[in-house]
Amino acid sequence: MPFLGGAPLAVTPATPHHAAVVLIELGVIFLVLAGLGRLAARIGIPSVPLYLLAGLVMGDGGLFKVNAGEEFLSIGAQIGVVLLLLLLGLEYSPLDLKNGVKMTWRAGILDIFANTIPGFATGLLLGWSPEAAVLLGGVTYVSSSGIIARLLDDFDRYANRETPVILSLLVMEDIAMAIFLPIIAVILVGASIAQGAVAAGAAIGIVAIAFFISLRYSRQVSRVVHSHSRELLLLSVLGLAFLVAGLAEAAQVSAAVGAFLLGLTLSGQVADEMRSLLPPLRDVFGGIFFVFFGLTIDPRDLVPVLLPALALAIITAITKIGTGAWAAARAGIGPKGRWRTGLSLIARGEFSIVIAGLGVAAGAQSQLGPLSAAYVLMLALTGSVLMRFADRIPVPRIIAGKPKVKPVGAP
Amino acid sequence: MEIYETPLPGIGVRYEFTSESGDHVGVVVRRDGKRDVALYDRQDPDSCKGTMELSAGDSSKLAELLGGTNITARLDSLKHMVEGLAIEWVTMPAAGGLTGQTIGDGHIRTATAASVVAIIRNDAGIPGPGPGFTLEAGDTVLVMGADEAVRKARTILIG
Repeated sequence: MPFLGGAPLAVTPATPHHAAVVLIELGVIFLVLAGLGRLAARIGIPSVPLYLLAGLVMGDGGLFKVNAGEEFLSIGAQIGVVLLLLLLGLEYSPLDLKNGVKMTWRAGILDIFANTIPGFATGLLLGWSPEAAVLLGGVTYVSSSGIIARLLDDFDRYANRETPVILSLLVMEDIAMAIFLPIIAVILVGASIAQGAVAAGAAIGIVAIAFFISLRYSRQVSRVVHSHSRELLLLSVLGLAFLVAGLAEAAQVSAAVGAFLLGLTLSGQVADEMRSLLPPLRDVFGGIFFVFFGLTIDPRDLVPVLLPALALAIITAITKIGTGAWAAARAGIGPKGRWRTGLSLIARGEFSIVIAGLGVAAGAQSQLGPLSAAYVLMLALTGSVLMRFADRIPVPRIIAGKPKVKPVGAP
Repeated sequence: MEIYETPLPGIGVRYEFTSESGDHVGVVVRRDGKRDVALYDRQDPDSCKGTMELSAGDSSKLAELLGGTNITARLDSLKHMVEGLAIEWVTMPAAGGLTGQTIGDGHIRTATAASVVAIIRNDAGIPGPGPGFTLEAGDTVLVMGADEAVRKARTILIG
C-alpha cells in the first residue's frame, strides 16, 4: 500500500495498538468526568470548574499526560461548543428574546460596559495586544447562563420575583455574544482596521439576516426537520447544526453563532423534543470541551496569572453585583431581591471559556488561556456559593438604601 | 381575582395572584409541563417561603383535587402529537341537523372521513357510540379528524 505511507497517516488509529491506547485514554477521561460530576452534584457546585481542573491535571506539565486521544478530544471540543450554543438557542423562543430585550435593555447596556471594561483594561495593563484585551473583555462580560439557570432551579428560585430580571439579563448577554463572536472572529484573522470594519459589517449583516429568517420562517424550517422517529430527528438536527456551524465558520461568523441562530430558528415540537434529547449529548461533549481547554494549558503557566485573575475576579464580581442590583431596582424589586440578583449573576462559565478558546486557537496571547481558566475557576465556584447563601449574607447598605440604586461598581 | 403573568425566558411563564386571605401565590408553568407552586414570603415579597415542584401528572391530579378539570389539557396534548388533528365539541341544536336521528343517518364517516368518538349527555360520557345511536337535543358530540372533515361533519350535525 504505497499511498498509505507517510507521516499524516501514521497518527490515525490504523494500528490496533493505537486504537487501544485512544480508547483506554478516553475511558479514563470519561470516568474521571463522571466521578467529578458526582462529586460536584454531591457538594452542590457546578461541574464546569471541576472539568477544567481535570483537563489541567491531565495536560502538559500535569500529573499525567493524555496524548493519543487528543485528536478526538479536539474535534469533540468543537462539537461541544456547537451543541452548547445550539441548545442555548433552543432554550429561547424568538418571543423570549423580544421580551427580554424590552424588559432590560438599559441594564443590558450597563452590563456590557461595566463588565467588559475591567477585562479589556486588565489586558492592556498586562501589555497584551488590543485584540487579546477585547477577548478578555468578553471573558469577563458573559455570565454563565448554564450555571445560573441550573442553580435557580436547584435553589427553587424560579418563582422568585427577581428571576425574570436575571433571566432577561442573561438573554441580553447571549444576543450580545451573537454579535460579539463574529466581530472577534474577524479581528483574530488579523485584518486591517478598514478590512476589519467591512468584514465585521458583513458578519453583523449575516447575523441580522439569520435573525430575521429565524423569526420569520421558524415554522417552515421546523416542519421540514420534524420526524416522529427520535433517531431521524436527532440525525436531521445534528446534521443541520454541523452544516450551519461549518458554513458560518467558513464565512468567519464563527461556528458557535451559526449553531445559536439555528437553535433559535427551530421551534415548536422540534424544539420541545430536542430539549429533551440533546442535553445528555451536550453534557458529554461540553465536558470534553472543558477538559480539552484545560489540557491545552500548562498548570505551571497559571502561577504568574493568579494575582491578575484574582483582582479581575473581585472587580468584575462587584461590577456584576452592581449591574444586577441596578436592574432589579429598576424592576421594582426590594433590597433583598436586588442583592440576590447581583450575587446570582457573578458566576462565569462556559461562554467565557468559549471566547477564550477562540483566542487560544488563533494564538492571540499565550497568557489568555491560563488567565481565563483561573478566572472562570474562581468565579464559577465563588459565584455559585454566593448565590446559594445570598439570603444569609447581610445586604450592603449601598444596595439596601434608596429604591433607585446607583450602580455600585461602575466607574 | 387578578392573575399577573410574567414571561420567564428559557423556562416558561410565571403566574401570580393574591388569595382572598391575603396569601401571595405564584405558579410557574415550565415549558416541559412541570409546574412550580410557590408561596411568597410576607417579609421579603420577592422570595418564596416554599415551593413545590409538580410533574405534569402531579399537577393534573392536584387540579382535580382543587376542583378543576383537565379534559382540555389532555386533548391539547393529543393534538400536539398528531399534526393537523382537529377536535371539536358540537352541541346538538333543539331541532334540525341530526337531532332525533341516528349517527348512521348522517353518513358522517363515509361523507367526511371524520369520526364521532364520544357523546356527552347529562354530564355522562358515552364513548364510541355506534351508528345506531340516536342523538338528542343538547347532546355534546366529540368529533375528530382532519380540519376540513371536522368542519363538514359539524355542518351535517347541526344542519
